Amino acid sequence: MTMTDNKIGGSTEELVVEAGEAQRNRRPSRMNRVGDHLRREWQLYLLLLPTILWLLIFLYKPMYGLQIAFKDYSVFRGVAGSPWVGLEHFYTLFENDQFIRALRNTIYISLLGLVFGFPMPIILALMFNEVVNQLFKKTAQTIVYLPHFISSVIIAGIVITAFSPSAGIVNTVMGWFGLNPIYFLTKAEWFRPIFVGTGIWQEAGFQSIVYLAAIAGISPTLYESAVVDGATRFQMMWKITLPMILPTIIIMLIIRIGNMLEVSFEMIILLYQPATYETADVVNTFIYRQGIQGGQYDLAAAAGLFNAFVAFVLVMTANTISKRYSRTSLW
Amino acid sequence: MSGVRLDKIVKSYGAVQVVHGIDLEIKDKEFVVLVGPSGCGKSTTLRMIAGLEEISDGSLTIDDRVVNRVAPKDRDVAMVFQNYALYPHLNVADNIAFGLRIRKESKDAIKASVDEVGAILGLTPYLERRPSDLSGGQRQRVAMGRAIVRRPKVFLFDEPLSNLDAKLRTQMRAEIKRLHKRLEATSIYVTHDQVEAMTLADKIVVMQDGRIEQIGTPMELFLNPANAFVAGFLGAPPMNMINAVVAKGENGPIASFDGQTLPLPALPDLQNAEGRPIIVGIRPEYANIVTAPQPGSVNCTLNLVETLGSEALLHATVGDDQFVIRTETLGKIDQLDHVNGFTVDPTLIRIFDAKTGKALGGQTRVA
Ligand SMILES: Nc1ncnc2c1ncn2[C@@H]1O[C@H](COP(=O)(O)OP(=O)(O)OP(=O)(O)O)[C@@H](O)[C@H]1O
Ligand SMILES: [Mg+2]
Repeated sequence: MTMTDNKIGGSTEELVVEAGEAQRNRRPSRMNRVGDHLRREWQLYLLLLPTILWLLIFLYKPMYGLQIAFKDYSVFRGVAGSPWVGLEHFYTLFENDQFIRALRNTIYISLLGLVFGFPMPIILALMFNEVVNQLFKKTAQTIVYLPHFISSVIIAGIVITAFSPSAGIVNTVMGWFGLNPIYFLTKAEWFRPIFVGTGIWQEAGFQSIVYLAAIAGISPTLYESAVVDGATRFQMMWKITLPMILPTIIIMLIIRIGNMLEVSFEMIILLYQPATYETADVVNTFIYRQGIQGGQYDLAAAAGLFNAFVAFVLVMTANTISKRYSRTSLW
Repeated sequence: MSGVRLDKIVKSYGAVQVVHGIDLEIKDKEFVVLVGPSGCGKSTTLRMIAGLEEISDGSLTIDDRVVNRVAPKDRDVAMVFQNYALYPHLNVADNIAFGLRIRKESKDAIKASVDEVGAILGLTPYLERRPSDLSGGQRQRVAMGRAIVRRPKVFLFDEPLSNLDAKLRTQMRAEIKRLHKRLEATSIYVTHDQVEAMTLADKIVVMQDGRIEQIGTPMELFLNPANAFVAGFLGAPPMNMINAVVAKGENGPIASFDGQTLPLPALPDLQNAEGRPIIVGIRPEYANIVTAPQPGSVNCTLNLVETLGSEALLHATVGDDQFVIRTETLGKIDQLDHVNGFTVDPTLIRIFDAKTGKALGGQTRVA
């Protein structure tokens, strides 16, 4: 501790000396600029500190453990003590039908979520924007935001109840039309629509806030000018609102694609059952069953790393494409 | 014929009335400027004409048709906004074409119109650029292009030049004037810059607090203001106002102030009006400097001389009132620091009632 303190003190002194020298030589060094900057803006960095600590502790420190994806890990020998095995776990994974199935399901569910889930909040925001009656608008907004604030466990409970063959509203309504009840949650072919639909119901409203904020930022004179030019409400939505929020849409899309493989893990756990593993089991649930329940930490780490790698590639690609074609990008 | 007529136009926001019954007749091809201090209701009036604000009471006629309940698009007006209202995602050509596309005109017709307007406004080299890659003046021109391309009956401008720097503003002012000569379209122009109003207008409408103070040609308003507000609003620097009371002189009424006197014209309102408080208005340009008291001259105390080159502004006080004299410098530069009074042609003096601010009746019109 004392050692570190001394070191920091020393380096600061060096910096100061260096700064003085650089000024005399009229050749501001990089270090000098960084030092000056830190001294001037230290309050801002202080504010940043908790976030940096959080990132370090919860996201960067665990990365140390990632090496077990390349080791024959045993709890008793520890992370450092376990022997290296190279890519063995990855070979095992790709020979494992369950993993391949989980990977396929992940991609499939993610794509469905993207295709149906991504446009929903945009459509909602555009619709809210057209509502003139403020009371109706506020009420409707509150109703669609609500599911976001309800715990996934309760959401799952509602879904399970709604689709139950005996008392569920869905089967009851189907009964009115003379249809036989279906036990939806035990049917593999129904899992994906139900899961994706639940996700949309839960999050679309809340996600629309971002787009509503973007819409609120559009200068009203753009619309006034269009009104004088004779534009209808639909034309204004199509030719002004949508293009004006396009940068926001693209940023959200990039983020979404980056998180695409992060399929809502607890919702799957809550809704799936062995009968629907065929369509419902995703990489994260696979990791959970293999790693946590089955104790194969190294294999699970390899699966997780692979997932993260694919996500990384996806987000890089999306960003690059967007930067090239729309002048909008995350970085 | 594209005249515009406002009959007792009223605008209220809830219980608050902000425009109190405006009457205004704008002839075909006329360039009318609405001018007044901030918040006087210029924009509101213009927006009612455009159809962007509902008219609370009164009637608006465009081209002999009452349009109170007519949608903006069917009024055949085009509006240029202060912040240009350009679409950042469209290039210049598409911005100009926006109104035509909305109206579903043919591609060829749109292209021809855009090219023509681009040429008129000198935008041809920039048609492919986005607004973000244009200078303020160029953006302003695009905004005008959007209006011109539709060939509307009436042009509406809401402070279109106020975001430009002084030099560009002068330049664009001349351009708007030139454009109006060329297009001969009825135009209503809102500004709070009296120089813009003076230079552009066929007819100026001076507004204050939601009412019209005076309507007339720029020179008419400058020379014969109907009240002290108009006198003080037009002209830079504004007309000097000396608070005085009427007194009896040897040859008729005189104004008495600060222990001095100034002969006044024998207006009916000034007969037997001794002691009546009045405001004596003298334009800075019409006061002639003296360095030693002369018969009929008014004494003043000189505080500051601002030399502007060919002219100088002398800041002085007469009693408690500020008094500015604008004078040429040529051959007089040595005298400027020694000025201690001024003379004025009595016919150029304007006299206002001190209470109402109204110009007294019967004054000789200056022409
Ligand atoms: N939506 C509104 N609700 C209530 N009052 C309003 C509204 N819009 C404008 N007003 C009021 O109406 C009056 C006239 O406003 P207006 O915008 O016409 O002024 P202006 O003459 O254009 O001023 P400026 O030179 O600052 O643009 C102001 O007192 C303003 O506060
Ligand atoms: Mg205004």
